[in-house]
Formats: sequence, C-alpha cells, structure tokens
Amino acid sequence: MERYDLIVIGAGPAGLSAAIEAAETGMKVVVFDENKRPGGQLFKQIHKFFGSKEHKAKVRGFRIGQELLQDAEKAGVEVHLSAVVIGIFPHLGITVSKDDHIEHFKANSIIIATGASENALPFSGWTLPGVMGAGAAQTMMNLYREQPGKKILMVGSGNVGLVVTYQLLEAGCEVVGLVDVLPRIGGYGVHAAKIARTGVKFYLSHTIVKAEGDKEVTGAIIAEVDKNFKVVKGTEKHLDVDTICLAVGLTPMSNLARMAQCQMVNKGGAVPSCDEYGATSIAGIYVAGDVGGIEEASSAMIKGRIAALGAAKYCGYITEKEAAEKFVVYHTDLNKLRQGMFAPGNKEKMTCTKTREGYPLSMNLLTKGFLTEKELAVFPDCLQEVRGIHPVVECTQNIPCNPCQDICPMHCICVGEDITNLPVINHTQKCSGCGRCVANCPGQAIFLVEQGEKEDHVTIPYEFLPLPVPGEKGCGCDRSGAVVCETVIKAVKDLPANDHTVLVTLAVPPGMGNTVRFYKKEGGVI
Amino acid sequence: MSDTKTANVIVVGSGIVGNSCAYYCAKKGLSVIVLDEDIIGNGASSRNGGGVRAFFRNPLELPLAKYAIDNIWPHLSEELGVDIEFKQGGNFRLGIGEKEEANLKKLAKEGNEQGLKVDLMNQKEVQNFCCYVSPEVTYAAYCHNDGHANPLITTLAFYRKAKAMGVKYYTGEEVVKLATIRGKVRKVITALGNCYEGDAIIVAAGCASTKIVQTVGIDMPHAPSIIEAFVTEAMPPLFDFMMGTASSAFYGHQTKHGSFVFGGGSGFESFNDGYSDSCPTRQITAPSVMRGIMKYFPCLHDLKIIRTWAGWINNTPDGCAVIGPVDDLPGLYIAAGYTGHGFCMGPVTGKILSEVISGEKPCVSYEQLKLSRFKARQ
Amino acid sequence: MKVTYLNRDIALGPYVPQEDDDVIICRCEEITKGEIRRAIHEGMYTMTEIKRFLRTGMGLCQGQTCTRLIKNILQNEMKRAVQPNEEPTPRAPARPLAMENYGKELVK
Repeated sequence: MERYDLIVIGAGPAGLSAAIEAAETGMKVVVFDENKRPGGQLFKQIHKFFGSKEHKAKVRGFRIGQELLQDAEKAGVEVHLSAVVIGIFPHLGITVSKDDHIEHFKANSIIIATGASENALPFSGWTLPGVMGAGAAQTMMNLYREQPGKKILMVGSGNVGLVVTYQLLEAGCEVVGLVDVLPRIGGYGVHAAKIARTGVKFYLSHTIVKAEGDKEVTGAIIAEVDKNFKVVKGTEKHLDVDTICLAVGLTPMSNLARMAQCQMVNKGGAVPSCDEYGATSIAGIYVAGDVGGIEEASSAMIKGRIAALGAAKYCGYITEKEAAEKFVVYHTDLNKLRQGMFAPGNKEKMTCTKTREGYPLSMNLLTKGFLTEKELAVFPDCLQEVRGIHPVVECTQNIPCNPCQDICPMHCICVGEDITNLPVINHTQKCSGCGRCVANCPGQAIFLVEQGEKEDHVTIPYEFLPLPVPGEKGCGCDRSGAVVCETVIKAVKDLPANDHTVLVTLAVPPGMGNTVRFYKKEGGVI
Repeated sequence: MSDTKTANVIVVGSGIVGNSCAYYCAKKGLSVIVLDEDIIGNGASSRNGGGVRAFFRNPLELPLAKYAIDNIWPHLSEELGVDIEFKQGGNFRLGIGEKEEANLKKLAKEGNEQGLKVDLMNQKEVQNFCCYVSPEVTYAAYCHNDGHANPLITTLAFYRKAKAMGVKYYTGEEVVKLATIRGKVRKVITALGNCYEGDAIIVAAGCASTKIVQTVGIDMPHAPSIIEAFVTEAMPPLFDFMMGTASSAFYGHQTKHGSFVFGGGSGFESFNDGYSDSCPTRQITAPSVMRGIMKYFPCLHDLKIIRTWAGWINNTPDGCAVIGPVDDLPGLYIAAGYTGHGFCMGPVTGKILSEVISGEKPCVSYEQLKLSRFKARQ
Repeated sequence: MKVTYLNRDIALGPYVPQEDDDVIICRCEEITKGEIRRAIHEGMYTMTEIKRFLRTGMGLCQGQTCTRLIKNILQNEMKRAVQPNEEPTPRAPARPLAMENYGKELVK
C-alpha cells in the first residue's frame, strides 16, 4: 500500500492551498478530487472576488483556481482528478476509485477538504424537471454553456442566489423574480444592486408555495409569509417561469469525516469538532474549508494553509514554534475577512440599521435591492454636484473589500487599514477618468459621472453580450431597472487589464447623471 | 437515579430476538420492558443478509428453524401489519470441483433426512435452472424450504407492534449489571444508574450478552467476529432464491426493492480488535467478497455497489445459539450466540421463551440449546 | 459513540394529517412527508430507524438531498434537537461504483 505524508481530499481552494503549504515544508503530498477539473467551486465562479490583494480581490474565481493548480504543480504536489475517495478506514487508510479500479493508500496525515453541497427545499411540485439548485444552474451555464431555462425564479437572496441570478442574466436568461422568506436580503447589497438595476424584482418575506406543471415546470406560485414564516392566505401570486433555482443554503459534505469516526458538533449543521488548526478528534485527520463550516472561497484558502500547518507539525516537518508563528500571520489574515456586516456569526445582520461610521443603512437596498436617491444623499461623495469627471462610489455596507483603493492611479479613493471601511473620496486628488475603479470594483458599485450643460455622461461597468457600439441609441435605467430616459452610447472600452468588465459611457439628459446606472437596448432588452 | 421500574419481563436488547420476545410475551398478557444501549436493533439484526434458512443447520437448531419457516415466517407480515418482504424462494448453494461436490451431496442427504426438500444439480442442470450462474459451477444443492426477508423492517416491525401493545422501551440505556434478590435474578442496573426489576430477565444483547451475564456469575463462551455486507442498485427481478457457496465465499439475495444484498468476509474476520460498539469496514474486505460473487455470477459484474457495512457475529463453540433459562440461576434467560444466523430463529425464540416463562409447553423443543450444554473436552 | 437516553413512551399525540403530507421528501425512493410523519408517530424516533423502516436515504444519493429535510421533520415532530452523532452513519463507497471496478484492487 502506498503511503503519503499527507493525503488531501478535495482540490478546491482549501485543498489546493493546503497541499501547496504542506509541500513547501517538504511533505510528500497527494490530492484526490472526484471532478474532472480542479478548483472545486472556483472553476465555475466567473465573478470577481472581494477582499484585499492578499485574498486575490478583483480576480475572477476560475482564474484563482487556475493559479492555485499551477502553484500546486510548481510545489511538486501530485493532483489526481476523476479520483473519488470512496472511504476513509481505520487507521488513516484511504481507498480511491479511479478509472476501472480502486487503489488503497495509507497516510501519515489527512486533510478533508470536501466542501459543501446545496440544500434542497421541498414544496408542492419540487421534483418536476426545471427545479434545480442554483449551483447546478451555475455549473450548467459556466461549464457546459447550457442555459438552465428561459424564465427563472430564484429562491434565496444570499450571495449565491444574487450572484447566480446575475450570471443567469449574463447567459441570456430572464430572471422573473427573486424570493426570500426573510425580511431582508441576505447577501451583499452591491450584488443585489447589480441585478436590481437590470429590473429583477425582489419579493422579500415571500416563499414558494408550488411549482406548477405536469411533466415540467410551467409556472410558480409564491406567497407572502408572516413573522412566523407561515403563508398568509390570499397573497398568492402566479409567476410565469419554466425554471426554479434554489439557493437556500449549503451543508458541509462531512460524510468522510463521520466515516472516519470524527466527533461532530452542531455549527449550523453537523461539522467535525476541531481545534484552531482544524485537527479533528481523530489524531492525524484535519478539516479545511467549507466542510468545517460554511464561509467562502477566500477564507477556505487560508483555512487550508492553517490545516497544512497542523499536519506538518503532526508529522514532524515543522516545529511547534514554526507552526505557531505562521499560524498568527494566517489567522490575522483570516480575521480580516471575518469582519463587517456579513461576518459569520454576526447576530445583528438582520436588525442593524447603521454602518459602522454611523450612516443609516439603506432599507430599500435591504428589501428591494436598490438604493433610493434620498438614502444615497446621506453618504458624502454620492449625488454631489462636482465639476469635471469624478467617481461615485455607491458602496454603503461594511464589507471586507478594497481594490478601489489600490487601483486608482490618482489615489482618489481611500479605504484605509480596516478593509471593511466604506470607501471615501479624496477631494484633493483629481480624477483622470481612466475608469479603472469602475471596471475593477467586484461589486460593480463605482461609476464615473461628468455633469455638463447639454448632457451628463455616466460610465458604467458592463458585462453583457453583445456589447453596445458607440453611437447606438438605447435606454437609460435607474437603480430599480426602470427606464428613465433615452441614451446614446458615447464610448465602449474593453481593456485586457479589466478582464472583460467593459466600460460603457452613456450620454444622458442633463441632471440624470446621478440617476442612470444601467443601459438597455432599444425595446428595453439587455 | 429514579424509582425502580418493574414489569413481568425485562428484555435486554432490542434486536429481532429481543423484540420478538417482547411481542410474544405481550401477546400472552405479560407486562414487558425492553432496554437497549443503542437505538432499536442496531446490532446484527439490522446488518445481516436477510437469509431465512433451515438448510445445513446444526441438528440442535434445526427443529427451531424448521418450525419458524413452516409456522411463523409465511404469515408474519400479516401478523405484524407490515410487509416484511418474506419470500420463500429457496436456497441455492453452489460448488466448484470434486471436494465441494462431495460436501454438497452430504448436506443434501442430511437435509432430506431431516425432512427438508433438497435437490442436487449437476452443471447442466444448474445452467437450466439459472442461466446467470457461471458455467464454472459444477454442482449445486437447492433447498426448497428456505427463503429471505427484510431484516431491517422485520426487526422494527416487531418493535412497532410490541410498542403498540404496551411494551415499554428505553433506548440509550446500557445495562451494566444484573443482580439477584434472594437467589433469583430480578434486577437490571444501567450505566445511568437506573434500576429495573422483573420476574423474568431475558438477555438478548448479542455480543454484549456475555459481559452482562458475567455480572451474576454466569460464563457464556463467545468469540465475536466481524464480517461485512453490501447492497447494490436496483435491478429488474432476476433471482428469487437465497444464494451461497460451498466455499462460503459469499451469500446473498435480491430484495423486493430490486437491489442485491451480499455478505461475506476477507478471511480475517476472527482476527479483530474485539467487540465494541464501533463497526468499521476494512479496505480489503468488500473487494474480496465481490471477486467471489463475480466468479459465480459473472452477469452481475457491472452492478453498482451503493453501500457497504459491517456487523459483529456472536460465535459460540458449537456454532449454535444459546436459548433458554439458566439452570442454576432462576429468573435468567439467555437468547444470544446465534453465530451469524439469528434472523430466521429470532421470531421462534420469542415464541418459545414467552411459553416457557408462562409455564406452558413450548411450541418446539429448545432444551438442547441451553447454556448448560457446553462441556470441556472429556 | 454513545446514544442519548430516550424513554420511548412518548405522547406525540394522535397522527394529524397536514396539508403538505403528500410532498415527496426522499426523491430517490419517493417517500412522502406524510409517510415519514406517520412512521415517527409509530415509534421510529431516530433518523436511522426512519431510514431502515421506510428506505429514506437508501437511494442512489444516499441521503445527500433528504437527510437534512428529514432531520427537520423529526425535530418538529419530537420537539427535540437531533444530535450531531444521531445522523445515519455514512459508509463507503462515497459514490456508487460498479462491482467489477470495486473488486479490482490495483497496487502500484
């Protein structure tokens, strides 16, 4: 039986990061993943990541996956794809199914980084073809280039629901509505704003009652719920859809850990109980990433490295002291991500009313997905009458993110040491109008505005095909997606450095520069 | 901890044996309490291959097995109000080569002498009977009397019925000792400090039985071994019979659901870490059993395996169960040591003990299976 | 892993049919919410017993979809949290695998 110092199960962000860190200490590492491609959830994430430079902010998820794989190969890690770990056995034995056979291995240490799976939501008709997980829809679109459907209802307003809705729009699907049983949108306001400005309707405090149809989904019934989440009779609404996507949470895929007889605890679902290094109750077995508790890819990468420190220490490749020193660095980094309004375990998320700086949170953003001008007005640097071209940063919630600060060559935007600070415009600097901030904000929340006598110019981030062309006439939409004026395309800039976020400059009637935030072609189509 | 709970009968163990004892005793109007350290029937009762057989039974056990198949199994679904999936599809035992042929001939002769109906088949007849069998199989014995059922449902069906009839169940109650009152075994004490008292104490606790009866000075010899089983995806119906081999490479059957359940060992079954409530599978066992299956039924080669598991077998020196009262200690009854074939005999055990406890003549003689039969080499 | 004590003489009350009893919970084996609730009322007080009695979680996905849903139903009926060690035991193979492949052990 072949023996490795470390067997990593799962080649996602946690697993690959763990493997790289372990290999750098000299361990003989192998990674097994059941998928054909490495990167776990990363390989279908086409949006740009948040966080800071260390967290690979503004880089699209699938590119992060590619980078990780390259780094792993450089570090001498063996990565086996289409290799299913079918079981963990006493004592630190692993059996892998590959091609037409199985292979047995023994490990000096194991890191389980198998991630999480989507939750199901049962309702009348949920087993009809056309009902699927949001993640499944994402795989269909981004890997297999298939539209999951034509008219979609999204259930769930966490980041997964919001991000996948945007990607469905990019894939040319119509998203008829987004439903959430809670009274507030669960994901980032900027993700909600991205889709609200295209016209997607939010139905908060609503649930799905029924998927209609005989052989497949032909419609959906949604209804309002009361404070106890019970359906309020008489509020049923019919939506004309052929697809229902469920984004109702994730559950750690902890089967292998339980098979290995790790002790489990309740942490929003059963997860292996572990120490700060991810060491489980079975000596030599560690967990990293979502399998140890749902967060997201950026934190998974750090937790992978931390677990590798634990394994390297256990196998005698680094000393306690060396492990502890590196642990502090990684843990500090991890904590930077765990701050702000959406921090894991933030109990006030559903009730807080102000940002840390004291600005009132936009209730409209939290319930309908878009800021009203009245709410925006309290944030300095928005809705200002400023001479010349200037950035408007509509980022109104404390989330860990700061690419806007580093990307501006004129240093117009400042976030500061704590990356959950709201960005602030530095009025002593002069904006050059390059638009890099617009293209690189992962939340697509930055716009360039230039007010003029005859017309205002608004530069928006744009990621839909086919791209508009200069001179084209179309519609200017406000933050709610309503068409508010006619517009002419002044410029379309698609720079390689901006990685497919195109800068589209619109000419709008004077005074509309602080209202128009999206462009639709003639007829009101994206 | 709390007050002593009393009943006519206290049963330790909620497997098929314990639950059938509870059911039959309740049927006789006795009050019953059942205790289990785990959830209902989590031992061999929920892990075995579901075989119901009288073929190649040790003569000590044969009368019980035969009684069960003739009188209890055929209408058990009706009696319990749950479809336990009993099918009397026969028992097809396959052999390759002269030595196994001789062995099968011997078994068939004994079976027929015991009143069972066993046919012998040569290679051609085997192929005629079942075309799915490998042509390498040179000989087979087919016993018409045997069959199979669903052990998971049967065990829970007995529990469900017993519970509905008023039997009190306490799970997560690990029995740590028994105790006598004036020379009679009457008390059952648990790890939580709870105390139960009854006129009859039945220990039907599988591999944990020996440890429990030791606490009142009873020596029940046992040697736990651990074997594995697995289940496949569903297929259209192919086989009615229980299948097995003269070489004991594997055993199994196709269930009502369409999936196949198979069981077997790697050869290392007896070399284990000792009985515990942990039941892990080993890397090398399932593949070994699968190779055995494919040798005899090559047509099953692409059948997908869905799940593997393991279970402890409570082996006794002569491979037969220990059933009945303990001669020198009134009040104590043992129903354990089924050495891997307790499923068929579980229901009849309950009936017998309910009759013995009630002072009635048991439906079939069982005294040959009492603990007192074990004697060292003379 | 020790199991929590449970006196099974629980008064869950009579079985009251609910509007959504016909919603399928275990898709692989097509078991409805009503069947699960009825089994609980008849004494199947743990996830594993429900599974063994009804076949929920025994299909191809091995409970990946339905386990969480059944846990919620069980917790609702019993008014008691299901402990992390009370979920059904996961076993090899983590994904279904053909017998001929499973039986072929290659050694490097």
